[in-house]
Amino acid sequence: MITPTSDNIKLFHEPKDVLRMTVGDQYSVVQIEPRWAAPLSHPGQLLGLMNSKGEEVLLVPAVDSLSQENQEVIQRELDRRYLTSTVHKIVSAKVEFGATYWTVITERGQRDFVVQSLQENAQWLGERQLVFVDIDHNRFEVPDIDKLDPQSRKFIDSIL
Amino acid sequence: MKSKPINPSETEPSSTGALIRLVADLLESGDYGQRVLEVDAESVRVLEMNGALSATIPIADIHNARNEPVVGGGRLEVTTKKGEKLALISYTHTIAARFSEAARGIEQLAKGEELLINLKPQRTHCEKCKRLLPEVDGICPACVDRGKTLLRIARFMLPYKYWAIALAALAFLTTVLNLVPPILQGRLIDEVLQRHTNYPLLYQLIGVWVGIALTSSLINITRDRIVAKLAGSIAADLRATVYRAIEFLQLTYFDKKQVGAISSRVTTDTDRVWGFLVEGVPYFLLNGLMLVGVSAFLFWTNWFLALCILAPIPVIITIAVRFWKPMTQMFYKVGQKWARFYIHLNESLNGIRVVKAFAKEDSEFHKFTKRNVELQEAGVKADSRWFTIFGAMLFFSSLGTIICWLVGGAMVVRKELTLGEFYRIHAYLALIYGPIQWFAAVNNWFSRAMAGADRIFEIIDMEKEAYRLDDGVQHDIKGEVHFEDVRFGYDKSNPVLKDINFVAKPGEMIGLVGKSGAGKSTTINLIARFYEPDSGSIKIDGLDYREIELQHLRRQIGIVLQEPFLFNGTVAENIAYGKADATMEEIVEAARAANAHNFIMMKPDGYDQMVGERGAKLSGGERQRVSIARAILHDPRILILDEATSSVDVETEKQIQEAIGRLVAGRTTFAIAHRLSTLRNADRLIVLDRGKIVEVGTHEELMEKKGVFSKLVETQSEIQEIIGFDLGQAEAAK
Ligand SMILES: Nc1ncnc2c1ncn2[C@@H]1O[C@H](COP(=O)(O)OP(=O)(O)OP(=O)(O)O)[C@@H](O)[C@H]1O
Ligand SMILES: [Mg+2]
Repeated sequence: MITPTSDNIKLFHEPKDVLRMTVGDQYSVVQIEPRWAAPLSHPGQLLGLMNSKGEEVLLVPAVDSLSQENQEVIQRELDRRYLTSTVHKIVSAKVEFGATYWTVITERGQRDFVVQSLQENAQWLGERQLVFVDIDHNRFEVPDIDKLDPQSRKFIDSIL
Repeated sequence: MKSKPINPSETEPSSTGALIRLVADLLESGDYGQRVLEVDAESVRVLEMNGALSATIPIADIHNARNEPVVGGGRLEVTTKKGEKLALISYTHTIAARFSEAARGIEQLAKGEELLINLKPQRTHCEKCKRLLPEVDGICPACVDRGKTLLRIARFMLPYKYWAIALAALAFLTTVLNLVPPILQGRLIDEVLQRHTNYPLLYQLIGVWVGIALTSSLINITRDRIVAKLAGSIAADLRATVYRAIEFLQLTYFDKKQVGAISSRVTTDTDRVWGFLVEGVPYFLLNGLMLVGVSAFLFWTNWFLALCILAPIPVIITIAVRFWKPMTQMFYKVGQKWARFYIHLNESLNGIRVVKAFAKEDSEFHKFTKRNVELQEAGVKADSRWFTIFGAMLFFSSLGTIICWLVGGAMVVRKELTLGEFYRIHAYLALIYGPIQWFAAVNNWFSRAMAGADRIFEIIDMEKEAYRLDDGVQHDIKGEVHFEDVRFGYDKSNPVLKDINFVAKPGEMIGLVGKSGAGKSTTINLIARFYEPDSGSIKIDGLDYREIELQHLRRQIGIVLQEPFLFNGTVAENIAYGKADATMEEIVEAARAANAHNFIMMKPDGYDQMVGERGAKLSGGERQRVSIARAILHDPRILILDEATSSVDVETEKQIQEAIGRLVAGRTTFAIAHRLSTLRNADRLIVLDRGKIVEVGTHEELMEKKGVFSKLVETQSEIQEIIGFDLGQAEAAK
């Protein structure tokens, strides 16, 4: 049995909501779940392909090393499995009564959320990257605060 | 939480008569937007908001349905009878728990069962102000009445109301007395100094003045002594109330919060509140009275001059109001930085051994410095801003004095005002602007105190463990434990235990086995009612255990935890933790039974040996034996052993085994062990796999069955052969 590598695998959906993987036309793993090893600090790198028992079948070092078709398929699956949001713009932010109220624009559209105990739920990864976890455990990522517009930065500065 | 049949009118409004109707918050494209899941007796449907039908599956085709947890939310997955898996609809965490319930409902319908799910509508926005709520179904902090909060804190004064009244009375007296010296000075100027005669009046007035100065000082001393008394008592009361509330909080709260953040509520937050109550409120009265009293006096002396010199006050008030919000925000930020600073400090000190072991002093210091500098910067920024505003207000206050000289001086020249009157007004000016500045500052003090009070009341109002002190029954446990369709998840949308059914007979020893993460500890957490089942029930002697008074129940349950926790105290105190009135003989007996006596005797102070914080001065095996002794002395009806022998050598394990053997006699026992040999005394074994029971039976039965358990045993004995010892696996297997 050959070991799967980034080059000899083929990913596809079959049936339409189940990700399958064949390895060099020899055998097939029927249910694959992609998991980022470090989605925040190393986006786009280190993608684990896990089987239905939760064991890793292959760790893809970088997604762009996969073939174009595989990338498209995996992206579709990732979109379904990672419902986190990336903040593009902060529309408003205010501290009131110990909670912070945010309105942000993400790649999914506009959303309001509340963050409580900011020191735990606004997590810094390094100096410029920030993740908010709202009261329902939804995550809102700011990959680089320097890339935000000045107004959004001002909101972050005034609170954090 | 009891399951109950849902009533469609309780969920979102439905025109179609659907049994379940839920609105998801993600579109198929992944954008935020609404889609609807509808379930009726025939089919499961997904509808777009414009009414278009995106998917439909007949109930008859469904094999099972579940919430597949994904990062940031979940999706509803249905497996058809043909084995085809379909993802129907995605949603964020905000509503994942409800979809998890819906999935259960779909399964019930598919199996032809009665629909028994709990889909209460959720309140995510405040009805009054439409703000997002900081907690689902929680209170809206914007709409809670500030006045009410103030009244609630004021209630802590109630036990000391006579002291408080005395304080107010003294404050009033001080105000009145403060008004007198300027009058005396005015008369001195007009009737003595300007006339260059009249010594008797001079002595007379000075005499009164000395008397007033003495009385004032006496009053001030008394007042401050009362303040000290009130401060101490109210602070102690507040801390006790908050601590008591925290003690009874559900464990789910402690899962979410850092211990440092919780303890700061007992210290910092209560400090702010009592500080304001004791030092703020009396001065509030004092300064308020002063303002009113002195203004009245000024107007009485000369209304025109009074009007002129009070003119800058509106400006000062405007500044205070205008900058109040941004200032609180800045102080909030400083608070954040303090919290971060503390968390790091606590953590690195608690983990000092690890820090040293990895020689990480420098990088920890680096982190510390970063927090420290952040704190410094935020503090400097906030304080600078504050002093700027304060300086501006000071300028406008001094304007009052200047106006006084300008207008008043002219009036004296025109002889419309005597010099004495002018002096008096001038002296009163200070008595007005002092309180005004105080009021400007108190705003920010007040808001900090209110924020502290809010956090305190948040804890006090939070849902407590259901002790049901009033209606819980007292029940002397015989020992039957019955799990009935139990389902539980730390996160409601992702069950860790599913369909757990078993009966443990009184006195039976049940072994729980399974891989790491299978749900063994979770099962015993449920038995001790640290958490309650999301659905299904646990019965003890046929009685739903939620009917039994919680403390009464726990007094009859003994636990030896995977990581035994000892309190900083002596060995004897720790053993007697569950039975405060135990005699020394009983303690020794329990220690003997736990095979702990001998090692305790070898300690310099024997049973009086201090064990250190968390029992750190004992070895892992010693800690475990002390905690077994603690359980033995507690004499529980139901005994829970979670990996009681995980961190000891084979010889000690044998000793502990013996101890446990003595302990389990006659009690219903649940034991978890990774070394399966440890469980050879168990009457029955329950094998868990990913939250489900996969096998039940005696050791022999399970070995014969050649299922999951025998595989576990095989791999383990293989490993043990490799590492060269066998813990009687062979006899057990016979
Ligand atoms: N307090 C908690 N909050 C959230 N999830 C938890 C919590 N405690 C346990 N879990 C999760 O629940 C699952 C079952 O955990 P549990 O502690 O019951 O496992 P276990 O069978 O005792 O494993 P082990 O043998 O390693 O002790 C695990 O996936 C674990 O990550
Ligand atoms: Mg465990």
